[in-house]
Amino acid sequence: MNKLSVNHLLGIKYLNKQDIELIFETASHFKNVINRPIKKVPSLRDLTIANLFFENSTRTKLSFELAEKRLSADIVNFASSSSSVTKGETLIDTVNNILSMKVDMVVMRHPNPGTAYFLSQHVNAKIINAGDGAHEHPTQALLDGFSIIEKHGSLKGKNIVIVGDILHSRVALSNIFLLQKMGANVKVCGPLTLIPKYITSLGVEVITDLKKALNWCDVAIMLRIQLERQDIKYFPSLREYTMLYGLDKQLLDSLKKKITIMHPGPINRGVEITSDVADSKQSVILEQVENGVAVRMAALYLLAGKID
Amino acid sequence: MNVLIKSATIVDENSVFNGKKVDILIERGIIKKIAPSIKNTAKTTEIKTSDLHVSIGWFDLRANFCDPGFEYKEDLKSGLKAASKGGFTGVLVMPTTHPTIDSKSGVEYILNKTKNNIVSAYPAGALTVKCEGNDMSEMYDMHLAGAVAFTDNKKSIKNPGILTRAMLYNQSFNGLVMNFPNDDYLYNNGQINEGVMSTRLGLKGIPAIAEELMVIRDLFLAEYCNSKIHLTNISTKKSVQLIKEAKAKGIKVTADTNSYHLLLDETLLENFDSNLKLLPPLRTKEDIKALIKGLKEGTIDAVCSDHTPQDIESKQCEFDHAKFGMINLQSSFSVLNTALKSKLSLNEIITLISSKPRDILNLETPKIEVGTQANLTLFCPNTSIVYETKDLDSKSKNSAILGKKLIGKVIGIINQNKLELN
Repeated sequence: MNKLSVNHLLGIKYLNKQDIELIFETASHFKNVINRPIKKVPSLRDLTIANLFFENSTRTKLSFELAEKRLSADIVNFASSSSSVTKGETLIDTVNNILSMKVDMVVMRHPNPGTAYFLSQHVNAKIINAGDGAHEHPTQALLDGFSIIEKHGSLKGKNIVIVGDILHSRVALSNIFLLQKMGANVKVCGPLTLIPKYITSLGVEVITDLKKALNWCDVAIMLRIQLERQDIKYFPSLREYTMLYGLDKQLLDSLKKKITIMHPGPINRGVEITSDVADSKQSVILEQVENGVAVRMAALYLLAGKID
Repeated sequence: MNVLIKSATIVDENSVFNGKKVDILIERGIIKKIAPSIKNTAKTTEIKTSDLHVSIGWFDLRANFCDPGFEYKEDLKSGLKAASKGGFTGVLVMPTTHPTIDSKSGVEYILNKTKNNIVSAYPAGALTVKCEGNDMSEMYDMHLAGAVAFTDNKKSIKNPGILTRAMLYNQSFNGLVMNFPNDDYLYNNGQINEGVMSTRLGLKGIPAIAEELMVIRDLFLAEYCNSKIHLTNISTKKSVQLIKEAKAKGIKVTADTNSYHLLLDETLLENFDSNLKLLPPLRTKEDIKALIKGLKEGTIDAVCSDHTPQDIESKQCEFDHAKFGMINLQSSFSVLNTALKSKLSLNEIITLISSKPRDILNLETPKIEVGTQANLTLFCPNTSIVYETKDLDSKSKNSAILGKKLIGKVIGIINQNKLELN
């Protein structure tokens, strides 16, 4: 099988195991490509991709752009720190504008859940969700899964803990869906104010003790505290959050085994992890960034294959 | 208006003809004769269809007509037309318009604009000035002008002091206070029910306890004031339990739920359909079961449509930005009947939308009796129907049940010496 079962990449929950394996396999091929002296391939020549970023993003936007350029696609960029609505234009108008531009694919990041799905219902283009509110961020989960396989050989049976602001995190949700589909065991760790009350309905366990969680896991995905999404206070202060859920070298070294540390970035150094942990040998944070380009190339390439 | 209804089964527990198939002759709006068979000697217009049933005219406890101020969503004329199509001969009209119906003149505006309509509009006055929750509005003056209940609609009364004083004050003229229980701090701008779906979709949850906490507060306050209170839009299992216990203790509480809350549950939100963004939100199948049990046991007294028109711009947008509510006057009976058909008798179902709402508001219940003014709804409870956008008489089309097969069709209404057939 060399085709995805879906027409858009809206979320991990819409993919099956074979889709995920196909993306990993393709990404591994593209990882070789981007490590060659000539990094560019003509796979998406003549295709136009619109990158619509309704929310601030540095690395995801850069990673997608790079992936698109390496595949020789034509690119148009639209970025706005505020949502289209606050500017007076409705999403449906934005959608219609895109329609008129006759683009083949759209990569969209948006602060509201469900917007990628909404777009896919109204636009005749392939949609890649680059993050929609606290819903999904599928390419991040794919690159995380890819990076874990690189380090540990497989996802099956691996113990993975996601630490931090689960409530506002699309990365957590996409990772939970992906890791479970691939046979990993997932737990979440953080203050209960930052964990959805019904998270156990997804088959994940909640631990509030960070050390216990880290001693259980093979891989820890540390999440950024998303202060910009928190309309009310979920904990008294960052200082106190760090006291309870910050990972420092001392804690890391006290664990029974050498676990792998991951972070989707950007890191708040000294908050969720200290610099010496982020830069330690156990951290694969920079590999994640590199793999991000390969995984996004794979996603773009495979979706382009679905264009009639 | 003269009409002869042929072979209709009467659905009215108070009528001696209940459950019987009869002919009904109406002349100049008055029921002249009810008999197993009436000869049409004067060539009177006949209504004849299979599965024809007749009950007293239905009454809806909660409709937003958006007039004045938001006439692009609905106005009194289009709203009453939708009510008529839905089989309702009376409607309680919500006060959250612009300006708010918080004074005598507002009440008079509603009554004057709807005078002589086949559907009678009963205004609910705002409980507080501009529905802002701060100062009590002139409820007695509005009561004299024709307001039959006082509520800030979906703006729950946050301040327990205001609610207490409103309940005490209303006892001077036997007014009715209605509150929508929803604690603002726990609601915290949530989007859908807090549960499996909000977790899966990354949408902010509205916890059931936001409703339940205010239900219990309101019950305590009603007990303290020795006052009646009507809790509207009940949607959770625990709320039903709390009201049941309060009724057993003798607290003078009545309650309603929405017809769509008996049929639709949160799992339908998988595709972010903003027409299903409702307040209170769609809950779980377990809640639906408890609501139905509550209706059967009489804990929940009545069912309303919660008719809330929204224009297309308010719905065709990001889910977080979409406004709450759906239109439902025209479809409410079909939704209710589909949900309850195998669980409650037809008489029980019809009571929930005819005599019970009138009892809550202390309004006279019409009778199916020779010599009385005909106030009737004609319907086919076993006939299926599929609503399409083109069938809707509301100005707004924000319905979540379009294209779905429902059971129960309205044929028409008779009221105020007028007949309107669908």
